[in-house]
Amino acid sequence: MFGRVSLRQRLVYQVVATVLVIPFLFPLVAIVAISFSGQGPLANYTAVITQTPFFTFLLNSAVISAGTIALIYAVTMLAGFAFAKLKFTGRKLLFNAILVGLVLPSIALMVPMFIIVRQLGLFNNFLAVILPLSAVTVPLTLLLARNYLNGIPDEVIEAAKIDGATSFGTLVRIVIPLSRPITAVIIVWAFLQAWNEFFLPLLFLQDQNLQVLTQVPQFFTSTYGSDVPKIFAALVLVCLPIVITYLLLQKFFEKGLTAGAVK
Amino acid sequence: MTMSPTLDTSDPEDGTGTPGDSRARRGHGHPPTRRPKRRGGRTAYLYVLPALILVVGVVYLGIGYNGWVSTLDWNGIDPNPESVGFDNYVKIFSDSIFWDSLSHVAIFGVIVILVQMALGLAMALIFSGPIFGRNIYKIIVFVPVILSPAAVSIAFRQLLSPDGQVNEALRFIGLDVLTNAWIADPKTALIALAVINIWQWTGFSFILYQASVSQIDQNLYEAAQIDGAGTWRIIRSIVIPQLKGTHATLALTGVIGALKTFDIVFLVTGGGPGRSTEFLTTYIYKQAVQQFNSGYAAALAMVLLVLALTLTAFQMRAYRFGED
Repeated sequence: MFGRVSLRQRLVYQVVATVLVIPFLFPLVAIVAISFSGQGPLANYTAVITQTPFFTFLLNSAVISAGTIALIYAVTMLAGFAFAKLKFTGRKLLFNAILVGLVLPSIALMVPMFIIVRQLGLFNNFLAVILPLSAVTVPLTLLLARNYLNGIPDEVIEAAKIDGATSFGTLVRIVIPLSRPITAVIIVWAFLQAWNEFFLPLLFLQDQNLQVLTQVPQFFTSTYGSDVPKIFAALVLVCLPIVITYLLLQKFFEKGLTAGAVK
Repeated sequence: MTMSPTLDTSDPEDGTGTPGDSRARRGHGHPPTRRPKRRGGRTAYLYVLPALILVVGVVYLGIGYNGWVSTLDWNGIDPNPESVGFDNYVKIFSDSIFWDSLSHVAIFGVIVILVQMALGLAMALIFSGPIFGRNIYKIIVFVPVILSPAAVSIAFRQLLSPDGQVNEALRFIGLDVLTNAWIADPKTALIALAVINIWQWTGFSFILYQASVSQIDQNLYEAAQIDGAGTWRIIRSIVIPQLKGTHATLALTGVIGALKTFDIVFLVTGGGPGRSTEFLTTYIYKQAVQQFNSGYAAALAMVLLVLALTLTAFQMRAYRFGED
């Protein structure tokens, strides 16, 4: 964009970029460094795994994440396909009605969610986390999926129809295989929401055997003084799966995200 | 916050179709055919139904129920709540904590939106230059976006404590004057929350700007260079105007995000010290869960919701979304 660059300019770029990035890097390095301090990395990380119900919480987080991803993906692709490729009365109205959910602060639903969960007897049931979480996430994933699926040429859909495919067959055999980037985005995004959620499990899963990973750091917090290095070791372990997933899917993730975001 | 990277909510079928299409066909001697696809018929509703049930079931039912609760004087448990009409709403307007919370959200929102956009754009431009290790720089800036707000909050409580790593780093580079109790000081607590939010969310602005910068027509730069424009001039007169859509998207998602912010405020400062960082969301939580004022909390939630919808509608009109 800026034409040819001299060595001096190159240096200036590198320095400015580094100065901009350092404040972002510093907390990340500090978090890992603190997790290694105190009794040392081995003792800290072993303590997190052995002195807390770490693996139970890990399994719970995994189950909740898998359920949330499956529900969000199924619901999003079905609706996204219809909104992008099928014509029906009230299409725009229904789409906009779902999009209202984008604006909604989920804390505004806390009082009713509490009552609904109690009425349905869903306390200590993973569904009490999966359903609200999916409901507030679907508006965004649907918007991204609809925009992405709009880009699949209608001719492809028509050809499948001429070959005798039902609309569901078209979705499963033609559209979904063409939707890998957006699939990656939806899965990563749903995983993020489920894995990172703190308040819904805290409110609705009060049985300690059902708690999730984001609660692990609390085990080293007490009124008598917290064991900071172990809290940070727990933080690193909680965040690691997310970071690894992002690094593995980085290309897909950015491609899909920006495909939906930039016209 | 939840981010919504795109605001292309426009319907591609609305008049912007492909007018050239039918004419071209006619030119080849075919009758103008109406496209046969898209006859979803009734089955189309079956595809949309799960999403509708989920969103209507949780979101709309929730809002409706919330609206009803907001007319009650209720502790959330009593089987016979007392109806008070619009009293809760009247109370809100003379509640100084409500107005304080609102001003905190506004200050926080303005700071984080402006700084995140400026930093994100600066990074998108500089990282598009000749940078060694560009991908690592990108990952460093984006990783905070994906971390759990709960984890980030716990981490920053420590980093920003009086003898925490941020003050240590400031002392190390000789900026002792800037050391502060940050979250424990009512004068800096709101700024500290803004800094945490900026740290976590700048990567999002950066990724969006990066994608849209890469789509600017290269010929525009060449033409400008031939006309003798320098780098600054190109950024001011070409890049910034060309990125209008991205600025608007980020401003809009930023406003929604600021109104939604809850986790980091609640977990880092809990709205304190005193009420110095109370947000509408934390105030709602406290009223509902700690004070058992379900009716009042529900009324506050309705005000928050109306505020979010109004600001969104107003901005979408101002930025003319879905019209280009």
